[in-house]
Amino acid sequence: MNSTKGEKIFYGINYFVLLLIGLTCVLPLVHVLAMSFSDKHAIASGAVSLWPVNFDSSGYSALFDETPIFKAFRNSLIITVVGTALNVLFTVLAAYPLSKRYFIGRRFYSLAVVFTMLFTAGLIPNYLLLKSLGLLNSYGALWLPGLVSVWNLMILRSFFEGLPEELEEAARIDGSSEWRLLSQIILPLSGPVIAAISLFYGVTHWNAFMNVLIYINDTNRQNLTVLVQQLIQNQSFMQEMANTQPEMAAKLTPEGVKAAGVIVMTLPMLVLYPFLQKYFVKGAMIGAVKG
Amino acid sequence: MSKALPPPASAITNPSQEQARTRSNWLVRKYGKRVLKQNVPLYLMFLPIMIFFLVFKYYPMTGLVIAFKKYSFLKGIWGSPSAGLHSFQMIFNNDQMIKIIWNTFKLSGLSILIGFPLPIILALLLNEVRKMIFKRFIQTFVYLPHFLNWVIVGGIVVTVFSQNETGVINHVVKWLTGSTFPFLYNETSWTSIFIASGVWKEAGWSAIIYLAALTTIDQSLYEAASIDGANKWQQTIRITIPAIMPTVIIMLILKIGHLMELGFDQVFVLQNDAVSNVAEVISTFMYKIGIQQANFSLATAMGLFESIVGLVLVLTANSIARRFGQGLW
Repeated sequence: MNSTKGEKIFYGINYFVLLLIGLTCVLPLVHVLAMSFSDKHAIASGAVSLWPVNFDSSGYSALFDETPIFKAFRNSLIITVVGTALNVLFTVLAAYPLSKRYFIGRRFYSLAVVFTMLFTAGLIPNYLLLKSLGLLNSYGALWLPGLVSVWNLMILRSFFEGLPEELEEAARIDGSSEWRLLSQIILPLSGPVIAAISLFYGVTHWNAFMNVLIYINDTNRQNLTVLVQQLIQNQSFMQEMANTQPEMAAKLTPEGVKAAGVIVMTLPMLVLYPFLQKYFVKGAMIGAVKG
Repeated sequence: MSKALPPPASAITNPSQEQARTRSNWLVRKYGKRVLKQNVPLYLMFLPIMIFFLVFKYYPMTGLVIAFKKYSFLKGIWGSPSAGLHSFQMIFNNDQMIKIIWNTFKLSGLSILIGFPLPIILALLLNEVRKMIFKRFIQTFVYLPHFLNWVIVGGIVVTVFSQNETGVINHVVKWLTGSTFPFLYNETSWTSIFIASGVWKEAGWSAIIYLAALTTIDQSLYEAASIDGANKWQQTIRITIPAIMPTVIIMLILKIGHLMELGFDQVFVLQNDAVSNVAEVISTFMYKIGIQQANFSLATAMGLFESIVGLVLVLTANSIARRFGQGLW
């Protein structure tokens, strides 16, 4: 294809603008990363831009030695892994019947499910429910109320609906039950979309913040987001350090410790993201086509 | 029509046993034996889901009566004395709470106004990229912030805009003007930062939906248009935009429907005492007054107000869209 001069200029500008947008998305993170590995004086004088100045990892040592960050990390993992497994199991069990035209009451149940997306009881009634179920301070409060996300349910249902019916008919003639049909024919065909919704659920659990703040008061059970948030918002951690570990505290700035906390929490996401991106995008696309 | 119809004889004489039998016969007649048999495993699968939705989604709605009561811990939801509309009077006669509702609308409305068009523009720009590697590279970058939680984004914002010299922005500002600016403690700049951080986090990811819509456009339309001498800009206005319009409208309905649900996380991690005049919103207020101060009736009333306005907004937006043939349902 030949491009005119005007088009060439347009493409040039377009590439430049997109490059700027792309850089805007990652550079702040690079800056925080550089800061987390810089020494006190470099941070305090604002000398750090995108590369560590006077390499120093005492922010991380303080974090690992003086805060329960490993425990919080482990809690985040437990919340994410168990929560996601439950989510996926029950989303499949919800989506399969709803995808079947012969499921009696399908339209009613679909409406009832979608309605919960439009109208919710809100914070306090949910809090009182979990309280009366004795789930406060337990991870059940994080796993159960969001067991099935309507959005992910719709994604999976429309995927199931799109599978060729001939496959099922053939299996049915062979005498397969619905359970066998689901586990041996439908699920093996649904790998990518199951991966996508697992990832959506997983990210939600990993990033859980408000629910942990509200329902989990026991500091031994809090996750990484809440721990890092407390680190960012109050200075008491630094004051405690100054009392207990003066020579270590002397090497630190609050900004350096905060930066290290942000990086520790971001790292798992950054490591996994390039490998998982295509599943995320696929899931979002399926959701988009269905609307 | 003055004479009332006598009840049908069968309704009086049928014993209940026969009624039950007719009902199951009716099921068989309506759906057939085979379909009923097929439905047994489906219902077994669906049963836990029904219980889940009843217990965790529908049952809490009954808890909304707290909004009309004077809730006390000892008496529980149903035993607490009725207070009528007292909680709502407290909300609407209180300047501070009106302010909070207004803040919610303002921050949310501005976020939509500025945040809604940008993903569309980004998708259009990405769609014009011919070098696939470059496109994928940029996409990887712009999707990334979506996966960072608000604590991370808040941490980044606080670091970058910090008022003392450690903040990279103020480092530059001081070099330019000779003094630093309290970005996070000034109401106007805080609002801008709030909106910008939302755009930064979500604009890239939201573009995916439009990119998906763009791939469905028939390429021969562009060929025909360019033979007719239409330039890039005309093609965009006449072909691309109309083609993605249904997606745009659906996304706008969804956005408007969630106008009231300004995310708790974003406000909570960014707000500070200096800007509470513009930064206190319904969700953070409910948390503070409901969970921290245990004033359940007031917080529930606020939540009910939020939910109802949200529902009305969705239904209104949808009926408007339906008039243009683009409704969500």
